[in-house]
Amino acid sequence: MALKALDIYKLLPKKNCKECGVPTCLTFAMKLASGKAELDLCPYLDETARSVLGSSTRPPIRKVKVGVGERSFTIGDETVFYRHEKTFYHQPGIVFSITDEMDDGSIRAVVGRVRDEKLTRVGADLMINGIAVEHTAADPAAFGRAVAVIEEIADLPEVLITTDPVALEAALGQCGGFRPLIASATVENYVAFAALAKKFGCPLAVSAPDLSAMKDLVTKVIAAGVENLVLDIVPASPGAFIATSSLVRQQSLARSVPELGYPVLYTTATSSSPDAAIVAGILKYAGVIVTAPLSKAETYAALTLRQNIYTDPQKPIQMNPGLYRIGSPGMDAPVLMTVNFSLTYFTLQGYLEGTRLPCFMLVVDTEGQSVLTAVAAGKLNETLVRDSLKKFDVESQVSHKKIIIPGYASPLSGAIEDATGWKVLVGPRDAAEIGEFLEKEWKA
Amino acid sequence: MTDTTSSEWEGAIGTVTLGATAGEGGTRTVSYRIGGDQGLPYTGAFRPGEHQPLIVFEICDDPSIWSPLVKNAVGDQVNDPGDWAATVEKTYRADMVRLVLTSTRRRGFEDFPSINRTVEQVLSSTGLPLSIEGPSEPAIESEVFQRCGEAGQGERLLLGTAEATRYRSVAAAALTYHHAMIAQSPIDINLAKQLNILLREVGVPADQIVIDPYTGALGYGFEYSYSAMERIRFAALKGDSDLAMPMICAAGDTLNVKEIRDAPADEQDQMAIRWEVYSSLAAAIAGAAVLCVRHPGSVPVLRQALDALWVSRQEVKADGT
Repeated sequence: MALKALDIYKLLPKKNCKECGVPTCLTFAMKLASGKAELDLCPYLDETARSVLGSSTRPPIRKVKVGVGERSFTIGDETVFYRHEKTFYHQPGIVFSITDEMDDGSIRAVVGRVRDEKLTRVGADLMINGIAVEHTAADPAAFGRAVAVIEEIADLPEVLITTDPVALEAALGQCGGFRPLIASATVENYVAFAALAKKFGCPLAVSAPDLSAMKDLVTKVIAAGVENLVLDIVPASPGAFIATSSLVRQQSLARSVPELGYPVLYTTATSSSPDAAIVAGILKYAGVIVTAPLSKAETYAALTLRQNIYTDPQKPIQMNPGLYRIGSPGMDAPVLMTVNFSLTYFTLQGYLEGTRLPCFMLVVDTEGQSVLTAVAAGKLNETLVRDSLKKFDVESQVSHKKIIIPGYASPLSGAIEDATGWKVLVGPRDAAEIGEFLEKEWKA
Repeated sequence: MTDTTSSEWEGAIGTVTLGATAGEGGTRTVSYRIGGDQGLPYTGAFRPGEHQPLIVFEICDDPSIWSPLVKNAVGDQVNDPGDWAATVEKTYRADMVRLVLTSTRRRGFEDFPSINRTVEQVLSSTGLPLSIEGPSEPAIESEVFQRCGEAGQGERLLLGTAEATRYRSVAAAALTYHHAMIAQSPIDINLAKQLNILLREVGVPADQIVIDPYTGALGYGFEYSYSAMERIRFAALKGDSDLAMPMICAAGDTLNVKEIRDAPADEQDQMAIRWEVYSSLAAAIAGAAVLCVRHPGSVPVLRQALDALWVSRQEVKADGT
């Protein structure tokens, strides 16, 4: 079990020398206790302290980097079972797979997509993270050739899928310096694979038929000198993936099985439903997901789901308050007041765009709370509406003084009229009905 | 830290029966007892209920505010709820039909007798269990739900949707005519619990309640709903009987999202299907028992995915072997 901060502190030199980067040994002890510091940062630990603290203070799930440069991605270093306990930190890398039996043109087509395809949403560029190359050809040299085709046209993180050391060596000859993830070491090949991973400084996936065998193999591979490991759990199906991955996450966090404290690799090819596999991988702790190239719709949905799940729940997404325009609203266009919770804003905006009626959205600052929550908490009130009208100079933009408020804010309508001098129209509760509402009720 | 190693949880999810066959006093060809799960969904300790999550296809009685994509995919049948419901059963092969009474959302709706006619028409056109979604206007809901409850007497409908400030009409119809009801809260576990307690106090038994934590569309707050479902499921398994009801996922705004609207015309259907399927699957993994979709193409894709999840749910033992 994890040691508490005070127990850790008892074993530290207590010099408060600051060489570890924090002001006091007690602060360092607290960081170690929460898995947020490396023990090696302290230059003055004695051997006893080092061995006692070593296993119990490292982060419960190792941080592993795949690839180099701009498109490299980092996985692991997680601290919770549920995102709502705190947050998930490192989203899974999703990679599209090709085989070394494919012709060069087909390989380039997939690589080009991964290199260039981008979905921009909520201010972030979402992309697939890399290419997995699977060795299926008879000739080991084919593996190296396929990697070379990729290297010619893109700098992307790679996953090398083989259990043959000769083929692996051929591939690493082309891309070893770019730190691909090697998938995977098995009980038969781990000596050779560990040596190659060590030589090139690559992260190494470890594959075993069950978690018990996995523990044994991890121990052997660590003894062979490779520390950046990923667990290749090879589940029979998405359901089995969820069960195994959940157990790995549980046992890592509890530190009851330190040999499982590594990110997980999930190859979805075994599943009869790629959709089920991708969703299961994203939700249930995969660090790397290898999939056959997805259609554009599947890609967009997967990237969006990943973005959603790996959003920090402690920070509600907020819009900047202000006066937003749909289309080119003129002086007689309606003004619709809403809150700055992104969900509310985007939902309403979507329906308003669908009506094709130019209008203004007055987005007031409820600190990210929804209409319902902000009304209940008193955060959405007549003073806020009055101040927002003034701050964003709405009066100068329209020739009328009518403001439409969300249906759930109807209890505020009288107070808003009194405080602002504007006429309040109470709109629908459901944004889906805004089109009909404006059609029937709006007159400047 | 969350203790998830336990295979002995204090609580299990209660069951709710949807639909009634002839032997049960109704005219449905099938009924479902949803819920009954034990343990965290799809983990090694999971003991599922009788059914994989149900796929519910939503139809409406006035397609003017319905998605153009759906109208295009369905064709003329959008104008006839009975025909459409029959197609849902025989062609799309969903598990249930959800009739959204969009006609009641028109301003000044008064044609209450049409409610009885429409419900009866749908019930005679399909043997699938039926869910009915009522008006958003509080002034007419009492009448609408009373008529729905009456027209569907004996069929164990799923009536929606009650919220903290307006639950009496739905609850009355559920109690009087023995239907199940949907209790919705704004993505907040405490409000979900409170509403279930309010319902209990007016006499609605736990086995007639389905929890709707409110589901935002994928990309538009979906993760809030996902986490609310995980929290509700965890609390239920820890023994909180006021949260131990099956959950529903009905992300009604999904087909209106920007990614679908902005896609080239020949890609919109695929985008819509994936949007619905991915959010439904994620909700299923969080424990949802009822998944609502609107695009006909979503049903087979979601079915295949749920089959893949369901068939293997007990393959891994707690020790990882």
